[in-house]
Amino acid sequence: MAELTSRFRPKAHVLPIASLFLMVALWQLVVGTGNFGKALPSPMAVARQFWLMLFEPIGRTSLYGHIWASLVRVLSAFVVAIITGIPLGLLMGWNKKFEAMVKPIFEMFRPIPPIAWIPLAILWFGIDETPKIFICFIGAFVPVVMNAYTGIRFTEPMLLDAARMLGGNRRQLFTEVAIPSAMGAIFAGLQNGLSLSWMCVLAAEMVGAQEGIGYLILLGMDMSNPAMIITGMLLIGAIGAAIAVLLRYAEKRICPWKREISM
Amino acid sequence: MTTRPPSSPDSGAGERLAIAPAPGEQPQAATSAGAAGKSKRAIAGRPQASGSLWWLSLLSVTGFLLFWYAIVRFEIISQALLASPEQVLTTFISKLTSRAPDGATLGANFITSLKLCLTGYISAVCVGVPLGLIMGWFRKVDEIVKPLFEMIRPIPPIAWIPLAILWLGIGLPAKAYIIWLSAFVPSVINSYAGIKLTEPVLISVSRTFGATNWETFLKVGVPSALPMVFTGLRLSLSSAWMTLVAAELLAGSEGLGYMIQMGRTLARPDVIIVGMLTIGCTGAAMGYLLEKLERKLAPWRRS
Repeated sequence: MAELTSRFRPKAHVLPIASLFLMVALWQLVVGTGNFGKALPSPMAVARQFWLMLFEPIGRTSLYGHIWASLVRVLSAFVVAIITGIPLGLLMGWNKKFEAMVKPIFEMFRPIPPIAWIPLAILWFGIDETPKIFICFIGAFVPVVMNAYTGIRFTEPMLLDAARMLGGNRRQLFTEVAIPSAMGAIFAGLQNGLSLSWMCVLAAEMVGAQEGIGYLILLGMDMSNPAMIITGMLLIGAIGAAIAVLLRYAEKRICPWKREISM
Repeated sequence: MTTRPPSSPDSGAGERLAIAPAPGEQPQAATSAGAAGKSKRAIAGRPQASGSLWWLSLLSVTGFLLFWYAIVRFEIISQALLASPEQVLTTFISKLTSRAPDGATLGANFITSLKLCLTGYISAVCVGVPLGLIMGWFRKVDEIVKPLFEMIRPIPPIAWIPLAILWLGIGLPAKAYIIWLSAFVPSVINSYAGIKLTEPVLISVSRTFGATNWETFLKVGVPSALPMVFTGLRLSLSSAWMTLVAAELLAGSEGLGYMIQMGRTLARPDVIIVGMLTIGCTGAAMGYLLEKLERKLAPWRRS
């Protein structure tokens, strides 16, 4: 690995912080030249906009209301995806007959990006909450199923054989060997599913919504207020990252045997 | 990573990196997991591992199509909401030549979308893969670039759409930029992770034989990262394709995403479904081609 070859560096934080500072400074400088006019706000303007948005309502509700609206959509879709997706994936990975029946149909739907469902979802469910939750659900469902399926299929055959030799029956093999060994993959699927569904909610809200964080940035566009868009984007990124961290923490609690390598 | 069995802890972690991207990036990691799932490894532990079950698959697909046909035919779901498989087929055939209702034939829409997607994708890969490799190998570059990258990474490419439209209008550059971003992030991350997972022994060996750091990078690091790079390429492609649909849906006047959007406006479920199936098939076909290419270029990948 590369780091084995380089010297130990006690001041490893100097460069990253310097580079962040440099970027902000550069950003400010570029805006200062005035070449971009209104299109690119300065970092200060973004900070001011953020401060303003903390207290002023935007559209129908406050900033917190928008964030809450998006979160509720994503989380309710995510819960449904977990309840339906994990059992489906596990069954598909464990039972050959079930796999033969369900996999081809699943494979038909899998390559269609969740966002391509938006028009159909709006046609079916109108433009209230349901289509948005539906889109988020599809976004989360596919990776959740796929990873549960792959996880079960990659169960170490030796472990299964050992369990069988020790007298485990099929149900025990499934619940006590296969599922724990698939846990890592399942969590990876949850991570994916959640981040995908966080992305889908933006798309769904941008197509038609009155609240939500996707609506917020679209409003920024309509009002030609780039500071508002950038604030929204940073918030989206921060919330997405926070959700991922929470899920990783849950994973560590639920399956502590999984080793981590961080990027 | 290339030789160990898939479930050894190390490669498991590698896989994990590939299949658990941060919020920003594209998600069809499922694709990579799926590809792994298709490997020919026999699952000794799985019960009832005998006999071919293709007839069950055939039965279930037929059953599905029949069910679909029946619910539309007998108006359980109104025809305004769902088109029957037969209507979809008719629309598909007529859409090959007819410009109605969105102003371009299916082929023209398809070409528009494909061109846009590949423009963004290829330019993203050309920048992203070398950047990821260099970041993963050279510590200083990593320290400088990574904080910036980490700031962009969690922002989904779709969230860039308003800003891109504001900056670049609703023409090709805005869409190409968004697609570029969506493909850029996974290709950087996977190249980075791939080269970080280079077997330290290999690096030490090459150093013992007197290779310079640059030589070691080119001849040991890069080849050993190639499987992960390809995983990144696949993730990037599906990410780019999905973002393309979003971009065309929100700001397009042509292309497959625009076509399904028009299908909604005009309440034509058959057009929407034809569009969705075309999008799905194209995505799957591109993924398949990339996998073929990978087998050619990096045959040492475990499979």
